Amino acid sequence: MSSPADPVKQPPTRPKGHRPVVFDDPAIDQLHAAYVTLATELAVAFERIDTLERLLERHAGVTREEIEGFEADGAVAESRATRRTDLAQRLLRPFREFREDQIARAEHARSAPVRAPDEP
Amino acid sequence: MSAPFEEHELLPRPLHDERARQQFVGAFRGHLASRLMPGNYAVYRARVEPGFEREHGRKPADRHEVRAAMQREPSYQFWSAMQRRSQELMWESVIDPTERLLPELVARAKRLARRAGRTARGSLALDPGCVVPRYHTAADIHLQPGGYHTEFTDDDVAAGAVYDRALNIYSAGGTGPRNEVLGELLLNYCRERYPELQPARLLDMGCAIGNSTLPWARAYPDCEVHAIDVAAPQLRYAHARARALGVGVHFSQQNAERTSFPDGHFDVVVSHIMLHETSRSALANILRECLRLLRPGGLMLHLEIPRGRTPLEKFLYNWETWNNNETFAGYMTDADLAALAQDAGFAPDRVEFVDHVVRRSREQRLYSEEPYWKILVARR
Repeated sequence: MSSPADPVKQPPTRPKGHRPVVFDDPAIDQLHAAYVTLATELAVAFERIDTLERLLERHAGVTREEIEGFEADGAVAESRATRRTDLAQRLLRPFREFREDQIARAEHARSAPVRAPDEP
Repeated sequence: MSAPFEEHELLPRPLHDERARQQFVGAFRGHLASRLMPGNYAVYRARVEPGFEREHGRKPADRHEVRAAMQREPSYQFWSAMQRRSQELMWESVIDPTERLLPELVARAKRLARRAGRTARGSLALDPGCVVPRYHTAADIHLQPGGYHTEFTDDDVAAGAVYDRALNIYSAGGTGPRNEVLGELLLNYCRERYPELQPARLLDMGCAIGNSTLPWARAYPDCEVHAIDVAAPQLRYAHARARALGVGVHFSQQNAERTSFPDGHFDVVVSHIMLHETSRSALANILRECLRLLRPGGLMLHLEIPRGRTPLEKFLYNWETWNNNETFAGYMTDADLAALAQDAGFAPDRVEFVDHVVRRSREQRLYSEEPYWKILVARR
């Protein structure tokens, strides 16, 4: 087996390369990144709670091993999939609505008759 | 929901919260692709292009003008920020369980590599002298921390294990239960077009974890299938993975620009969305090497990501160039691969760069309104 040519002790946590900044203020990039993470963790927490509730339904006491080993299947998997999609949709709803409004306004402006400068 | 991802011995098995995190990132990416990406087209038509026309008296002439205009568009900015963050979160969600389980994964890979008998088909040949080229080391491709190639421990398989699971999340399940969709796509094209073909030896270039190689090995069970890559952790993983799935492939650590195989050794040489991860000089070298490796009449098939037909499509396909460390993809946008293959020595009447339209679900759509693939086809 080959040995690494350039041994690295700690795996890196961020990719090497250019990091784009999308918004005029980089703080907005950070804010977006942070709340997507928050949403992810919220999804994780929802799923954890769901697992606990379902296990509690079955048993009086719950062990860590039982939680770690729990796998959703059938109807439970379906309800979880729906919940994930639901969270993504709710998270992005303000954005979708913002964009729809912008598009609607642009289309309205294009189809509206052009007024002379002295018209009220 | 797409077909569930098929677990195998080499895949790190996530704990409860790790799995939930991966599944959410997958669902989030699926939502971005199916519900938000198409809005880039809508907002361009409604706002960005009319705005450009008002200012310049004409439509944007090329993807660079589209880029300058779109980058100022708030809804594009938002989509781009979400897309980038989802890619970062994807790696994070896969790296955690891989690191936790790495000693066990290395041990499993070694056990499978040592396995003898009927199930121990295929082989692995690593070359410690193989130099990982600059197009891998300059930036981590697809933002995978450490890229395809970096090793953190002896006999490391982490980069392969991370890639295997992440591919399923990246595509929101679109690469199929075994991540084999691209291999199947190119194989199906090949079988439809060349039904008589029965290769004795086939080479897959830039194979990574061998996910696209395996469909070829299954389809042609009497064929000696070879697969090469520059990244040792991918190859160790690929070899063990192929054995875990019961398929025989000969993996070796080699740069596709110059391999150790003899002249005219292969009936077929293939690659799956590999060319755009190389460089201008490497691309020319790889095409020349393909010609050298093929027997007279031998077939070359390179699957490539389309780069768009309109300025807007070209701009959107290049999102990955600027934001996902696909540093060579920009050049590929306007490159005529058929001409490059001719420059490499293929006869002009034996080379085609075809558009290959495949029906895909909304969930699998990335940047195009009408998904299609590109295939560089040539016969020696």
